[in-house]
Amino acid sequence: MASSKSQSAQSGSPREVANKSDQGNLLRAIRMALEVQSATIRFNTQDHNRGRYSATEALPDYDALKDRARKTKEQAIAHLPDLARELEAVVRGRGGHLFVAANAEDACRYILGVCEEHAAKLVVKGKSITSEEIRLNHALEAAGIEVAESDLAEFILQIADEQPSHIVAPAIHYSRERITALFKRKFQTDLPLDTGEELTKFARQRLREKFLRADIGVTGANLIAADTGTLMLVESEGNIRMSSFLPPVHIAIAGVEKIIAARRDMAPFLELLAASGTGQKLTSYTSFLNPPLDDPPFAMPGKPRKTREFHLVLIDNGRLRMREDPVLREALYCIRCSACLNACANFQAVGGHAFGGETYSGGMGGAWEAGTAKLENARFSELCTGCSRCVTACPVLIDIPWLNENLRERLNHTDGPSAISGFLGAISSAAEKDTHIPAAKIFFGNFHFFAKWGVRLAPFSNAMAGKKFARIIMERSLGIDRRRALPAFSRRTLVQAARELDSRAGQQREKKAVLFADVYTNYGLPERGLAALHTLRALSVDVVVSESIPEGRAALSQGMIATAKKQAGRSVKALESYLTAGRDIIVIEPSALAMFRRDYRHLLDDKDQFERLLMRTFEPVEYIVRLLEKSGRRAMEVFDVRRSPVGSRIFFHSHCQQKTIGCAAPTEVLLREIGFDVATSSVECCGMAGSFGYKKDYYDLSMAVGADLLQQVAAAEKDGGPRALIASGTSCTEQLHSGLKRPVQHPLELLAALLKT
Amino acid sequence: MAANPSRSLTDIFLTNARDAAATVERVTASSAAVFKALEMTTKGVRSIVVATGEWLPPEILSVARDLPNVIASPSDEQLARADVGITEAFAGVASSGSICVALGAPLTAAASLLMPLHIVLLAARRIVARPRDLFDGKCLGGEGLQRNLVFITGPSATADMGPLVRGVHGPHRLHILLLE
Repeated sequence: MASSKSQSAQSGSPREVANKSDQGNLLRAIRMALEVQSATIRFNTQDHNRGRYSATEALPDYDALKDRARKTKEQAIAHLPDLARELEAVVRGRGGHLFVAANAEDACRYILGVCEEHAAKLVVKGKSITSEEIRLNHALEAAGIEVAESDLAEFILQIADEQPSHIVAPAIHYSRERITALFKRKFQTDLPLDTGEELTKFARQRLREKFLRADIGVTGANLIAADTGTLMLVESEGNIRMSSFLPPVHIAIAGVEKIIAARRDMAPFLELLAASGTGQKLTSYTSFLNPPLDDPPFAMPGKPRKTREFHLVLIDNGRLRMREDPVLREALYCIRCSACLNACANFQAVGGHAFGGETYSGGMGGAWEAGTAKLENARFSELCTGCSRCVTACPVLIDIPWLNENLRERLNHTDGPSAISGFLGAISSAAEKDTHIPAAKIFFGNFHFFAKWGVRLAPFSNAMAGKKFARIIMERSLGIDRRRALPAFSRRTLVQAARELDSRAGQQREKKAVLFADVYTNYGLPERGLAALHTLRALSVDVVVSESIPEGRAALSQGMIATAKKQAGRSVKALESYLTAGRDIIVIEPSALAMFRRDYRHLLDDKDQFERLLMRTFEPVEYIVRLLEKSGRRAMEVFDVRRSPVGSRIFFHSHCQQKTIGCAAPTEVLLREIGFDVATSSVECCGMAGSFGYKKDYYDLSMAVGADLLQQVAAAEKDGGPRALIASGTSCTEQLHSGLKRPVQHPLELLAALLKT
Repeated sequence: MAANPSRSLTDIFLTNARDAAATVERVTASSAAVFKALEMTTKGVRSIVVATGEWLPPEILSVARDLPNVIASPSDEQLARADVGITEAFAGVASSGSICVALGAPLTAAASLLMPLHIVLLAARRIVARPRDLFDGKCLGGEGLQRNLVFITGPSATADMGPLVRGVHGPHRLHILLLE
């Protein structure tokens, strides 16, 4: 692949595109990452991600550990000023120094002061992303002090002058081949550097001498206990142990949010961090230190033996302001494990030089850049599609998509309206607040409105979608990529079609349900709705179809939170009347169902309403499986695989949000029980993600992400020939269809065809 | 995997420590057996550093000092260039195959970090089920909550240079003598 190519001059170096306050930098960075870094990042992040799945599965009380970790962090942030005072007394009591730096300059000034006091010429550093945030190396080098980065990834980045592309593995974008080329170029050496071992040996030898000569060692800290002053330090190379042990002076740098109340509370983090981050039971070294250490510091010949000195530099740099911000406060719970980076399909494709800013990257990176730098630097958080695969991966239960939707809302208002925003806002039902934002956002956020007109004008609107001039206008005004096929609008909505069906058969039955006519099913794919009606009625459910109301997903995904709240209010009002009438709610589109089961907790003021919806909304196949279980019937008694119009070999791709709310498994299990030969995808997301894949700016990225899914289809068809494509989500259906040019069915359409009666 | 309750902590520890690329040797907890095992493992090395022990019977760790090429009171330069470090473990952790070293006793920090080969003596009865157990005040005298600790899981390693490489700044090899 392209991994051994040098950085493309056209798309710029990583540093040049690090600051994402300019959308142009974001686009250049995506191009650079796709050209040069993508294959390596994909390989490494997917490897960590698989490791995370198996390591967390092996934790017998994973969920309980997450709850404990979350509570510990919540309490710590709530009592942060008290804990910082307690910690200060403990550190001072042990003879150490503690300094709270208001900002980056303040921190660097203090550290430079310590360096001057010791006439330090050489500082050796363990990996610390916080030191990147405060640009410590720059400050030290400007003062003539040599800085030796000793983490091998940071060593690479220091040589290459690049920012980290990942918060745990900062040089994750570097292939072995590119490291060899870099070392040969920078060190002008003839030594063999063609294997990982040779490269490691080369770096180790240089760095061992630095460790032994260093005047000061700098490390970060993963957590700090206020009651004992204990630093928790997680690593695998041994460089952090050396940095904190060999030089006479140890400076630990940490954000103030790293403080927790007690050393005993570090217990759940020990396994959680390793499992969530690199997918290990524990990393090679996890240290718990109460510095200064008892051992005398090292003194090589010719150096005076000094007494040990310890400085803890706590960084505010915006964190106390984040603490007062109900959205950004969530970021302070982050333990920097990187699970949200590795679990993200977009991150897997481009890494943190594109999906990241000057310091922080990935799903959590936006909130951190906004909190410690400025809001505009968080523009890369646009790459969060809200697929929500990070949500179940986060060991401290942060709703990362919600953070990014909030950042998007703030950015929308910073960006302001474009020429046709007022017009689009006025004709659609956007909340007033959401009419002063870019037009493309209003368009995608009000998909239901334009879909409604698309259906009314169906032959015309579908024909226009194929016209070149229309696509050019759409690309210029709304940013819809002209290469992407637009979804065809149905000429008849689900609501209209259902009215013509005979529903009398559904009366006098014990189970009553309503099929929520989500806008995607209603205007775009009514046939899957009709299949649901047919199947449920055959299973003796009295089912009616609701009116089609936008549930707010489209608006939320564009950061139009006011509009999403308005739509959530309307939807819940309509749905509550069905609940009162004793009807369960069935929702076909997973992204709509996930609104009811997940996102409404943020959008509804009445938490009881949310709880009721959570308990009574169902994915249709999940509902069918429950019906069968309740009636004691086996799947094969109801469905006959021999009736399948597409044969018995299928490829099932479940929807990202469907997986997060735990609704993917029932479909897979049922199809197997019926007798299908089911292959499944293991990608986190198809890359389409609602409007994301339509956007001109992100089309290439969307296709790059989708390539993984297409490859998995090809792999599953390698032996035994083609499989029928089955997908639950609208976006996934479009992505699969556009990539393979083959029909894609919803599981319900398949099931409806198999009914024995 | 720690799922099967019928497996002893020692068995689980063995499996997981080897999974983490440590080597483990089961040895009878006697001076003679320990000496023999150490002699085999350190054959041909030029310099050995032995840390002070805390929990094992003194005669067991003291046999290590009888090995050829042990540096009795090493200078810092000798520590930096030595081949083998021998320390005692404060505890073993079954679920992760880790050993936990408590720092503080003379030469423990250096001997568990600086040499390419780290040999650690672990008493089987000091194996706990999970890492978090050492944060329980009732476990092993509550010292896990007081001391400077490092959980060591296999040799030092990196994935930063492309493929996984074992042996970075810390020891390249971790050899555990499991004393039963």
